[in-house]
Amino acid sequence: MKKAFLIGALLLIAASDAFAGNRIVIFDNTATEVAAAPAALATGEDLWVTLADLTKATKFVLKPQGVCRDELCFPIPKARKSAFLSAQGKVTWFNLSEFARLTKQPTAYDTEHSTWFFGPRPEEQNQFVSSLIAPNFRLPDATGKMRSLQEFRGKKVLLLTWASW
Amino acid sequence: MKDAGKWIEAAKPEYTVLIDEKHLVTRLYDMVNVPTAVWINEKGRIVRPNEVAYVDNRYTGMHKLQAEEYLAAIRDWAENGDRSIYALSEKELKERLAPQNPDWARASAEFGLAEYLYKNNQGAASIKHYKEAQRLNPDNWNYKRQAWALSDAEKEYGTSFMKEVQKLNGKPYYPPRRLPETKSKK
Repeated sequence: MKKAFLIGALLLIAASDAFAGNRIVIFDNTATEVAAAPAALATGEDLWVTLADLTKATKFVLKPQGVCRDELCFPIPKARKSAFLSAQGKVTWFNLSEFARLTKQPTAYDTEHSTWFFGPRPEEQNQFVSSLIAPNFRLPDATGKMRSLQEFRGKKVLLLTWASW
Repeated sequence: MKDAGKWIEAAKPEYTVLIDEKHLVTRLYDMVNVPTAVWINEKGRIVRPNEVAYVDNRYTGMHKLQAEEYLAAIRDWAENGDRSIYALSEKELKERLAPQNPDWARASAEFGLAEYLYKNNQGAASIKHYKEAQRLNPDNWNYKRQAWALSDAEKEYGTSFMKEVQKLNGKPYYPPRRLPETKSKK
């Protein structure tokens, strides 16, 4: 019992530390800690990140043709470049909130804990509405082994959800 | 697993049981309550989208649905596949499925943020975001039930699941089950 209690307590400390002065980005369901922007950019609800943190948190990369991930590229509107990019000293900052508005990603934000949540773009979320293909997912089974919907191709699947409420 | 594990062990199911702590499936498929089911054919295509999926009658008092019709439909589909009258055509599916409205998308983000805060020991801070998710998508019972289950619902939200169900006074709080009346098209 004593051992279990100690482990629990350690987790608690580590978790509350995660909010101390940092910025947290949740993108594609993955939380990443990013550097806080200089005071000049840290006004309002927008999240500015370094280009390194942009890639670390979202896997998007700034390229001459736009903000890209694999085959996907979103050109930055020329007339509004300053809304997306800002040089502060030697560091270039990128406005991830403005990018979310461009790509129509839904966003939620918590001031007190400096945490930003970016949901899927509408074309990702709604893909199955036109393709009718059941969205794939990977989740652990009751023993912890990862399984995916894809594995069940060739069989009928009754996908039934319940909760422990 | 903490809550459901003992039931899964006791039931020894022959089907696959997955644990979805991040509510990934409900988000991907835009589900609004449990139990909800989707039927997927051998090619990975949806043949029946989200619908209420009680497989016994223990809660019939709340939702007035008989499970037998639904179970018969599942068995018919298991046997006849896409030829089953319960498997919807592409045309019927396109009439039933709609792109997520932007408020629902924002609600989903608020819910995701609330879940993250709660899991990182910021339960008090999560409440505001659960409430915002509920406000933006009042039809989503997953957002309500999750928030109520994780708090003193009466104190934080001024309500409870049973109170809300009673308020509906028999109005469905689910995507309705729409099964055809004839039994087979073999």
